[in-house]
Amino acid sequence: MNRSLRKQVGAVATWLLTFLLMVIICVPGLWVVLTAFRPNGEVLAKPPVWIPENPSLNNFAKIFGYGADQVAIPVPAYFANSLIIALTSTVIALLIGMSGGYAFARYRFRFKNGLFLGLMLSRTVPGIALSLPIFMIWSRIGLIDAKMGLIIVYVAMNVPFTIWLIDGFFRQIPKEMSEAAQVDGCTRWQAFWKIEFPLAKSGIASAGIFAFLTSWNEYALASNLTRSTDSKTLPVGLMDFTAQFTIDWAGMSAMAVIIIIPALILTFLVQKHLIAGLTFGGVKG
Amino acid sequence: MAEITLNNVIKRYGKTEVVHGINLDIAHNEFVVLVGPSGCGKSTTLRMIAGLEDISDGAISIGSDVVNDLPPRKRNISMVFQNYALYPHMSVRENLGFGLKIAKHDDAVVTERVNEAAEILGLDELLERTPAELSGGQRQRVAMGRAIVRHPQAFLFDEPLSNLDAKLRVQMRTEIKKLHQKVKTTVVYVTHDQVEAMTLADRIVVMKDGYIEQVGTPMDVFNHPVNTFVASFIGSPPMNLLPAVIKGGQVVFVDGKSLPVPARLAACVTEGQEVIFGLRPDDLTPVGHGIAESGDSARMTLDVVLSEPLGTETILYTSIAGQEAQGKMFGPRNVTPGETLEFDIAMDKAHLFDAASGRSVRVD
Amino acid sequence: MANKRPPFWQREQYTPFLLLLPAVLTLLFVVLLPLLFSLYTSFTGYRLIRPESLWQWVGLRNYKRIFADGDFWVAFGRTIIFLTIALNLEFLLGLGIALLINKITWGQRTLRTIMMFPMMFSPILVGYQFKFVFNDNIGILNNALQALGLSDGAIPWLVDKYLANFSIIFAEVWMSTSVFAILLLAGLFAMPRDPLEAAKVDGCNPWQVFRHITLPFLMPFVFIAMTIRSLDVARAYDIVDVMTGGGPAGRTELLWTMIARVGYDNARMGQANAMAYVSILLSIAFTYYFFTKLLAARKYMGGAE
Repeated sequence: MNRSLRKQVGAVATWLLTFLLMVIICVPGLWVVLTAFRPNGEVLAKPPVWIPENPSLNNFAKIFGYGADQVAIPVPAYFANSLIIALTSTVIALLIGMSGGYAFARYRFRFKNGLFLGLMLSRTVPGIALSLPIFMIWSRIGLIDAKMGLIIVYVAMNVPFTIWLIDGFFRQIPKEMSEAAQVDGCTRWQAFWKIEFPLAKSGIASAGIFAFLTSWNEYALASNLTRSTDSKTLPVGLMDFTAQFTIDWAGMSAMAVIIIIPALILTFLVQKHLIAGLTFGGVKG
Repeated sequence: MAEITLNNVIKRYGKTEVVHGINLDIAHNEFVVLVGPSGCGKSTTLRMIAGLEDISDGAISIGSDVVNDLPPRKRNISMVFQNYALYPHMSVRENLGFGLKIAKHDDAVVTERVNEAAEILGLDELLERTPAELSGGQRQRVAMGRAIVRHPQAFLFDEPLSNLDAKLRVQMRTEIKKLHQKVKTTVVYVTHDQVEAMTLADRIVVMKDGYIEQVGTPMDVFNHPVNTFVASFIGSPPMNLLPAVIKGGQVVFVDGKSLPVPARLAACVTEGQEVIFGLRPDDLTPVGHGIAESGDSARMTLDVVLSEPLGTETILYTSIAGQEAQGKMFGPRNVTPGETLEFDIAMDKAHLFDAASGRSVRVD
Repeated sequence: MANKRPPFWQREQYTPFLLLLPAVLTLLFVVLLPLLFSLYTSFTGYRLIRPESLWQWVGLRNYKRIFADGDFWVAFGRTIIFLTIALNLEFLLGLGIALLINKITWGQRTLRTIMMFPMMFSPILVGYQFKFVFNDNIGILNNALQALGLSDGAIPWLVDKYLANFSIIFAEVWMSTSVFAILLLAGLFAMPRDPLEAAKVDGCNPWQVFRHITLPFLMPFVFIAMTIRSLDVARAYDIVDVMTGGGPAGRTELLWTMIARVGYDNARMGQANAMAYVSILLSIAFTYYFFTKLLAARKYMGGAE
C-alpha cells in the first residue's frame, strides 16, 4: 500500500518535472513564433496580448519585400547567401571529412592520436579570435564580403567535427566487410563505394546536416567577414534590425522563424544518427 | 592447380615480429587446418595468404605465382570470415553474386552460379532475404556460398564456426567436410578448436607464438606429438605430463614411485636424464575398463579424487606423484570419490619428453 | 627480396596520410597560418586605420598592456566564472534530465527529439529569443510575472549587473544542456543491466547503485559531452552580442566580446590579437584537459585499440 502510493507520487513527480522541462524548452521559441504572426502593435501592447488576436502573414510578406510597409532589410538575398554558403561548405567539408574519417577508422599509422587531437584542437579556436587574422588576410586577398571567403572558413570549421562523426560511423562497420569485398574481387576503392559507403550513408548524411547547420547558424565570423547583400547571411541580417531606433520585434521574429525552420526539420532527421555517431566515435576508441 | 607455398614467411608489426619465418607446402585439393591458441599467428598467416596483411619478408605462392604483391582480388581465393561479413544492405542473392558481378560476368552466368551454390548449401528458399533475417547457421551457409560461387583456387576459413552454438557447430563442421568433398579445392582453415582441427583436416599445422610446432595428419599429430605443447594441445582431456628422472631403466617420479622405461623408447634416453612422462587419459584406465588390453602395460594403485561420468566413459581425476592426472574408465560403473583403484598404464602408448627442451625424446 | 619494397606495400603505408591531406591542408591554411599571423600581429601595434603599423614591432607591449588592464582581468574572470557555472549547471541538469527521460517509457522518443532542438538553434537566435523573453518592457517573463501578480514593476533583467549575467547564463544553459542530456541518455541506454542487478543483489540502495555503478559508467559520456562543448563554448559570444552587447557599461563583458570591441570597433588589431591568444590558450587548455580525460576513460572501459 505504502509502496504503491510512493510509486504513484514518484510517477506524478516525474511527469510534472518533464512537463516543466518541456515548458522551459518550448515556450521561448513558441513565443517568438507567435510574435512572428502578430502586428508590431500587439507586441508592445500593455497589458500583453497572450494569444494573437488576428494572426497574419504580414510580417513575412514585409521582410520579403511584399505588402504595404516594407522593411529595408533584403532578407531574400540573405537567405540565398546563407543557402549557397552553407550548402557549398557542407559538400566540401563532407568530402574532406569522409576521406579523413575513413583514414582514422580504418588505418593504423604513426601520430594517429596526435593528429586527431590536433584536428580537434583546431576546432577549439574561438570563432571571434580566429576572425581577427582571417579578417586581416581576407581583406588583403579580396575575400572580405565574398561568399567564397565564408565558404572556406566554414569548411575548415566543419572538417574536424565531420571527421569525428564519420570516423565513428565507419568504425561501426566491421573491417571484414571491406576485406570480404576485396577478396570477392574489389579494389579498395570499389570496396569503399560499394560496401562501406552505402552502409555509412545515413550517418554521413547526418554529419552533413550537422555541418550544414553549423554554417547556417554561424554568426561570430560571418558578422565580421561580410559587409553587404553580396555575402551577408541570415544570422548577420537578423542583427540589422537592432541597428534601427525601435526594434521591430515582429519583423525580427518572422526572420527568426525563417532561420529556425531548417534547423527544426533537419534536427528531426538527424537526431538518431547523430547520437550514435558522437558516442560511438568517442567511447569505442 | 593450386598448391599454396609459404617460404620463410615473416610478419612484423613495427618492430615486433609475430610470425617467425614459416615454411609450409599445401598440396592441391588438400584441407589444411592451422590450429593453435589465440595469438599464435594462425590468423595472421591466413590473412597474409589472403593478401589482407602485407608480408614483411619471405614469399607466398598460390599455384605457380608468387603473390606477395598481389592485392586480394587478384589472388583468386575466397574467404569465410569469423563474423561472416555478409553485406547487410544486400539480399542473400546479391551477396552470393557480388563477386561475380564485380568480375563483370553476364547476368545469366551469375544467376546460374548463384543457383548452383544455393542448391549445394540448401539456400534456395532464402535467396531474397537480407542477412538480418537469417539465423546464425544460415548466415554461415551464405558466407560459404559466397566463397564457392567464384570457383576460386583456394578457400580460406578464419574461425568460421566460433560464433555458433555447440550443436550447430558440430553440424556445420560436417557440412564443411561434405562441401570439401563436393567442391574439390585447396582449403586453409584456421581454428583454435583442436576437435575441429582433428575432424576436418587432411593435415594439421600446430602453431604457437608465431612458430610452427608440428605438421602432420591428425592421427600423426595425436599419436606422435613432437613436444609437450602439441601433446597437451591436441586431444581432450589433455595428455597428463609428469616430471620424472631416468634411473636404472626406470622412469622415477618425484615421490620415488617408478615405471619401466617404455621398451620402444629405451634407446632414446640416457641415464640420469630429466624427462616428462606423457600419458593420455585414454591410456590410464582402471583394470578391466580399458579400450583394448595393451601388450606392454604397467600397473599402479591410485586414489580417485573426483569422477565425471560422460555416459560411454567416465573421467577419473587422480594424482600421480603429487600431480593431478586424469584417467578414463570405459564401460564405466559408479566410482565414489576416495575410492582406490588399480590402474592399467599402456606403456606402449606412453611418451617421454626431454624436460629441458620439452621435445619428444624419440624425434631427436 | 628483403630490400625490395613493392609499390602496393608502400601505397598501403601512405594511404592514411594521403586521405588526411585535404583535411590537414585546409586546417593549415584556414586555422594554423592565420593563427601564426595573428601571433605575429599581437607583437605589433597594428591598427586597422593605419595599415603601415602592421610592421611596427612593439614586443610584449600589447600583452603588458592587457595584463595591466583591470577591465581585461574583470572580463577574463567573468569568462571563467561564466564557463564554470554554465558547464556545471549544464552537466548537473543534463544528468538530471537524462535520468528523468530514462525513466519515462511513453513518449520518450518525442521528448528526446524536442530536447535536441535547442542544440540546433543558432546561438544568435537563442540570444534574440532571450533578449525578447527578458525584455523589461515587453518580455514574456515580466508580462507573466505581472499577470500572476508576483511583481508590479518592470524587472530590469538585462540591465541589472547580476540579473543580466543570470539571464545570459540562463540562455547559455538553455542552449547547451541538451548536449549533456542527449549524450548521457545515450550512455544510460548503452549501460549493461548485469552490474546494476548484481549491485542490487549485493544490497546496494538506489543511491549507492547510482554512485558506484551508473556514474562511473557514464563518465566517458560526460567527457565526450565536455569535449564537444569545449569545441564551441565561444559560441556564447553570439548570445552575449545579441542580448547585451557586453553592456550595459561592460557589466556582461566576456573575453570574446571584448576581443570584438577592441579589434573591430576600436580597430586596435594588435591588442585584440593578444587578447585573442589568451582566449585561444584558454580554449585549448580546456579541450585538451577533457580530451585526455576522455582517452583515459576510454582505456578504462577497455574500448581503446
